[in-house]
Amino acid sequence: MTISPELRGEVEGLIQDYALAIDDGELERWPSFFASDCLYKIVSKENFESDLPLALLLCDSQGMLADRVQAFSELNVFGPRSWRHMLGPVHVTDDDPVTTRTNFVIFETLAGKDTHILCAGEYRDVIVREDGTLKFRERLCVYDTTMIPNSIVRPV
Amino acid sequence: MAEASLTWPAGNDRVPYWIYTDQGNYERELEKIFYGPVWNYVGLECEIPNPGDFKRTQIGDQSIIVVRDQEDGVNVLVNRCAHRGVKICEQDKGSFNEIMCPYHQWTYDLKGNLLGVPFYRGVKGKGGMPKDFSMGENGLDKVKVHVRNGGIWATMSDETPSFEDYMGERILGYYDREFDGRTLKLLGHSRQRIGANWKLMLENIKDTHHASLLHVFFVTFGLFRVDNDSKVEMDGTGLHTALSSIRGKQELNDGTKQMRSFHSGLELKDPNLLDVVREFPGDRTVVMQTIWPNVILQQQSNTLATRQIVPMGPNAFELHWTFFGYEDDDEEMTARRLRQANLMGPSGLVSIDDGQILERTQEGILAHPNAEGVVELGGRDTEDSDHMVTEVALRAFYKGYRNVMGI
Repeated sequence: MTISPELRGEVEGLIQDYALAIDDGELERWPSFFASDCLYKIVSKENFESDLPLALLLCDSQGMLADRVQAFSELNVFGPRSWRHMLGPVHVTDDDPVTTRTNFVIFETLAGKDTHILCAGEYRDVIVREDGTLKFRERLCVYDTTMIPNSIVRPV
Repeated sequence: MAEASLTWPAGNDRVPYWIYTDQGNYERELEKIFYGPVWNYVGLECEIPNPGDFKRTQIGDQSIIVVRDQEDGVNVLVNRCAHRGVKICEQDKGSFNEIMCPYHQWTYDLKGNLLGVPFYRGVKGKGGMPKDFSMGENGLDKVKVHVRNGGIWATMSDETPSFEDYMGERILGYYDREFDGRTLKLLGHSRQRIGANWKLMLENIKDTHHASLLHVFFVTFGLFRVDNDSKVEMDGTGLHTALSSIRGKQELNDGTKQMRSFHSGLELKDPNLLDVVREFPGDRTVVMQTIWPNVILQQQSNTLATRQIVPMGPNAFELHWTFFGYEDDDEEMTARRLRQANLMGPSGLVSIDDGQILERTQEGILAHPNAEGVVELGGRDTEDSDHMVTEVALRAFYKGYRNVMGI
C-alpha cells in the first residue's frame, strides 16, 4: 500500500510527535493527538490474539483521555522516571482511512535504578484528517511483554 | 544483609520484617503453605471451556497444567515429564488431545496417565523397557482439584479439609455471591511483576484504611473510604478475609476532612467510568475477599476479577489478573465492566498506587530484618469489625500465619 510522500511525511510526523510528547512528560498534549470521536487501548498480545476484549487501559472518548491525563499527572502515586519510545518504521496497510502498524519499545529508567524495557509491541493506528490536521481515530497499542514490570504510569 | 533473628515479638500488633525477606522462611512457606493443606486458586472454568483446553499456571514455585479432559473433568497436573523431568508444556494456554514431551515423546492422556513410551518393546529385539516397567506408576503427578461455580482450586496435600470447610460458612457465602452458579464469561488477562513479598499483596487488601489515604480516586469518588458503611469479616483461622462496603458520596465530612487526598472539586470529564449498576443482592457495592494463600476475589462496582498471587522468591511476586463477567451479560454490561476495568490492573487508576507502594515497602524493609511493623490501628484484638478504621484483619492474618508456620 502506498500513499503520497507528503502524506507519509505527515503520518510519520504525527506518530513521532506523539512519542516525543509522552517522553517529554507533556501529557496535557496527549488528548490533542486524537480525533473528537476516538478509541485508545493498551492491549496485551495474549488478549488480542484470543479475541478477548480486556484492555490494560481503555479510553473511548476525549473526556476519558483528559481524565487519564489528570490521574497520571496529579492523582496516582509513583516515583520519578524517564521514558524513551523507540519507534520502528511506519508500515502503511490501508489508505482510506490511513491505517498503519509501527513497532515500539519503551525503555523506562527509574530514579537510582537500571534502565529496563517496560514493554515492546506495535501500534495499530487508524488516522483521519480533522480540521486540517491528522489525528488518531483509533490507536491500539498491542504489547508482547508477558509480565509488566510493576506498572504502566503513562500512556504508551 | 543483617542476619534475621527468626523470632516473633510478643503480641499480634507487631510484625517482624524478616518474614518478608528471609530466603529460608520463604522455602518453609512453600512447604507448609503452598504445598501444604490449602486450596490454591488455579483458574476459572471459562478459561478452559472445551475438552482439550488447557492453561499453564503455578502453585508455589511449581509449574502446573490445568486441563479439561474428554469427559469434561478438570485436571491439575504437575508440568514435569515423569521420564527426565522436562517441563512439558511451554505455552500459557491452548488445546491438545494428549500431552507429549518433546524430548523422548513420552505421551500422557489429559488425566495425566502415561499412554506410550517410544521403543517400549525395543528395536529388532534389542533394548526397550524392562518387562516389569509400570505404565500406571509413571504418569504425571496429579494434584487434587475442586471446582465450585466456575472457580478451580487445587491442593497438593492429602490433609486438606473439604473446600467448603476450608472456606468456612461466612467466606463461602461471599464467594457464592460473586460465583453464583451462572456461567462466567472470560474478558481477559493482565499480568505484572511486583518487587515485593507475596504476603504484602494480601495485606494490601486486608489493610482497609490505606485506600482512604493512598488512593485519591477511591477517596474522592467514595468507592472505598473509611467513612463508608463497612465490615471486616474473617474466617475462624484469620487467614481469609472479606471486606465489604457501601459506596459513599463525594462530600466533606468527619472522615474526608482528615484525608489529604480528598478532592471535593474533582470531576470526571467522562462520568461513564463510574456509571455503576447494582447487580448483586444486598446493599454492598464492593466486596474484596482474600482467600488464603494465593488469591484476591474482587467485586468493585461492576468490575469483577481474580488476582492470583504467584510468589517468586521472598522479594517478588507476579500478579495474574483474570477479568470476567457472566454469560448472560448484555453488551452494555460487558462494555461497563471493560470501562471500569480501568480502575484495576497494571495501569489501574487505583492499583498503580498499590504496585508502586508495595515495591517501596520491600525496599524500605530489605536491610532491616529484625525491625518490626506496627499494626495497632483499631486496637490489638483480632475480632471482626463493623468499620474499616482498623488493622484488625492484619493482626488476625498474622495470628493465623504463625499457627501455620509454627513460629
